[in-house]
Amino acid sequence: MRKVGMRLSGAIGLFALALSFALPAPGAEVKAESLRGPRIGELYMVVVRDPDAAVLALERGKLDVLGDVTRPSDIRRISKNTGFDLSMAQGFHMAQVGFNLRKSPWNAPELRRAAAMAIPRDRLVRELFSGYSAPLTTYLPPLSPYCDKAASAPRFDPEGARALLGKAGWTWDSSGVLVPPKGKSPLPPATILSPTAGVAPTTAELADRIAGSLREIGIPVKAEPLDFAAMIQRIDEHKFDLYLMAWQLSRDPDSLYAFYHSSMDVKGGYNQTGLKDAKVDRLLEDLRYVPDEPAARVAAKAAQKALADRIPIIPIYTRFSVAAVSKGWKGTVSTKSMTADNSWSLLSMSPASGPMKPLYWALGDEPRTLNPFTASTATDWQVLGMVYDTLLTVNPNDLGDLPWLARSWKVETVKDPGGRHTRLTFALRRDVFWQDGSPFTAKDARATLLFLKKNAIPRYFDSVRDIASVSVPDAHTLVVTMKNVSYWHLHSIGGTPIFPAALLGRVKDWRSWQPARNSVPGKAGLTELYGTGPFVFREVRPGDYVRFSRNERFWLIPR
Amino acid sequence: MRGYWARRLGGAACVVAIVLVANFFLFRLMPGDPVSTVLDPRFSPQAKAELEALYGLDRPLAVQFLIYLERTATFDFGLSFATQRPVLDEILSRLPNTLALLVPAYLLSVLLGTALGVLAARRRGRAAEKAVLSAGAISFSFPSFFVQMVLLLVFAYVFPVFPLRGSLSIPPPQGTWPLLADRVWHLALPIGSLVLLGFGGWALTVRNLVVKVMGEDFMVLARAKGIGERRLFWGHAFRAVLPPLVTLFLLSLPGVVSGAVLTETVFSLHGVGRFLLDSVLGQDYPAAGGAFYLLTLITVASNLLADFLVQFTDPRIRTGERTST
Repeated sequence: MRKVGMRLSGAIGLFALALSFALPAPGAEVKAESLRGPRIGELYMVVVRDPDAAVLALERGKLDVLGDVTRPSDIRRISKNTGFDLSMAQGFHMAQVGFNLRKSPWNAPELRRAAAMAIPRDRLVRELFSGYSAPLTTYLPPLSPYCDKAASAPRFDPEGARALLGKAGWTWDSSGVLVPPKGKSPLPPATILSPTAGVAPTTAELADRIAGSLREIGIPVKAEPLDFAAMIQRIDEHKFDLYLMAWQLSRDPDSLYAFYHSSMDVKGGYNQTGLKDAKVDRLLEDLRYVPDEPAARVAAKAAQKALADRIPIIPIYTRFSVAAVSKGWKGTVSTKSMTADNSWSLLSMSPASGPMKPLYWALGDEPRTLNPFTASTATDWQVLGMVYDTLLTVNPNDLGDLPWLARSWKVETVKDPGGRHTRLTFALRRDVFWQDGSPFTAKDARATLLFLKKNAIPRYFDSVRDIASVSVPDAHTLVVTMKNVSYWHLHSIGGTPIFPAALLGRVKDWRSWQPARNSVPGKAGLTELYGTGPFVFREVRPGDYVRFSRNERFWLIPR
Repeated sequence: MRGYWARRLGGAACVVAIVLVANFFLFRLMPGDPVSTVLDPRFSPQAKAELEALYGLDRPLAVQFLIYLERTATFDFGLSFATQRPVLDEILSRLPNTLALLVPAYLLSVLLGTALGVLAARRRGRAAEKAVLSAGAISFSFPSFFVQMVLLLVFAYVFPVFPLRGSLSIPPPQGTWPLLADRVWHLALPIGSLVLLGFGGWALTVRNLVVKVMGEDFMVLARAKGIGERRLFWGHAFRAVLPPLVTLFLLSLPGVVSGAVLTETVFSLHGVGRFLLDSVLGQDYPAAGGAFYLLTLITVASNLLADFLVQFTDPRIRTGERTST
């Protein structure tokens, strides 16, 4: 078995020590390009919604793979069982405290900086998360290739916070509450919004403790737990002082634009803090419309530096994800960014001994829909990801781009009378077949992109809206010209699942299309839910399981 | 008689109409909306606007209301926001699982509870009554998720007699009878847990009603007339408690359906209860509205049926006779 354990960065060394007793030692990098498979003949994705029942099912041998184990008690319990390998990865989770910069006193940068210095992240994370999270000071997830660890929020230093405020003219009244410079009255009581303890017990407790830390330096804050939808409404209506919220981001730094550009302080936008800063706007525009990868790194660094100076939010912690795999299987792949429950593992897993057998993989929720145009939940895409492929994929080691349906690509900036444009040229693999046996060509990719653009499908809207034209010079070359210049178009287009052109022509209404229910004439056992991916969808038993079989035509199966 | 039923049906129609209106506006008055809770920085405000259009939320509220009324009247609740499938299809696809769980569980609870209640009432002051009262109180007061998790732990994990999850083995057995046996095996523990949780309330209610009736004047008179104990009990006492029991039986039905949420979660069952909860939490207006509308119809129908059946179990309220005298 090629065993690749978790790797933890030096930044979380203390937590690595706390975990080392329970989890496997760091392993070697996996050569994703060299993996060949899948070997598994039959895959069952089993729906187990209750986390307690999922752990019991794992222990009783009813499940082979259980991902997203979040409760420390479950992790400890599984780690004591010698029948499982645990893997842990850092992921892109970020929990942060946001300020309402639209109103006083939160528009005072020295107050925000002092607040950041008053919060003992290390202690809070250690006490509340039993080591299964790491303190966070950066504005992008530390795992992102674009994260600048030097551009970080201030470290815990309550005395320094008091000194900073004093130097800026803040004073304290007789009860220890801060009084603004030139002001006569102390700060009015404020609240920090958080989800309720019933929904997110640790987050609610964390909000309470953060409020306590802020009170220590004279900021009169208390936690205000709210139903999640009510909390979002309060934030959208700008009726808040501070909030504590967690996000699941991606490897790209473009989320900074969504969070901090002034144009995103609108209905449906994510600039919840209301940051309006011309310099930040300019830097974020540079980042969004950057022409190539090296320039992207420079622009991302500059944007993070500007944010670290302004502190619109205080990063608090990032949660690790943990997955368990039965030792009855070998060949799992895990890296510092991916736990073993990933598609690379599915390519290389096989029984540790004995003949091939079905693999039972836990789904923490029921897929809501198997229509790839309306599917939106992570569970939906866990299932659909078995069937559909993209032009590019993410390298599990360094999170860079890896060839997938496209064996190579080129990103250029071209000029025409209409201005400058990004042009993406993909050279596609010639050995790829759809699961119905027909060959995959550039026409399929073109039909997919044009279909998604023409129908303005919400899930794909942002990925394809800037497409100016799509051409197919030959059967295995795809050229996509965008309306503007942005390196991130590569990831948007390269990360879009590709559907068979023959099928798209038959989709009358993409909203109500139910591909898993329609069989393909003349192809026994094949439904319209087919792609080029490693597994063929066979059946779904709502509430129970989704069954797949190996795609014998998959291009990574050795022939 | 005709006037009475006209009034009852008119009242029921009013209730349905009020719930219809409330169903539409209450969900929209709740904080947030199905689009604002999409939290993904890769989803731009323009993409959210497209999503609003897909859900039909970009239209004026009055137009949305009219569409809703038209759809509800024809039992076409529209497409679920979450699945983009017709809401009625979603509910009907889950209904067999929920009925397979709830019908036997409810009937067994009622039968067992009634039998034990009768037993306790007839054995007053004896060990049997104390045992029933204690068992009833325990059954009635324990939280369902706790009992169900303990049962799952004991009978599916420590002693693996029953399966841990779902309504089918994976892979399912071949053939009708093995498949049926597999379904029964999977439902045994969830049904058992619901019976365990549900019989207590019935036992205590029946016992209290019977004890009260046994002390009534008409029972003393019947006993003085020399009627045998057996006939006295079944012919007089039990008949007297039947009307409230029938009413209680029918009025509890809607609560049973909505109470399936926890059971379906703990045992990973695909049912209407869980659908209802997911729809409310996900602010899936058409799905939640459709599910609540159907629950309302079940409640109203249960009420009417209770009124109708009570005539046969209680001669004092035969409305037709009353109006004719």
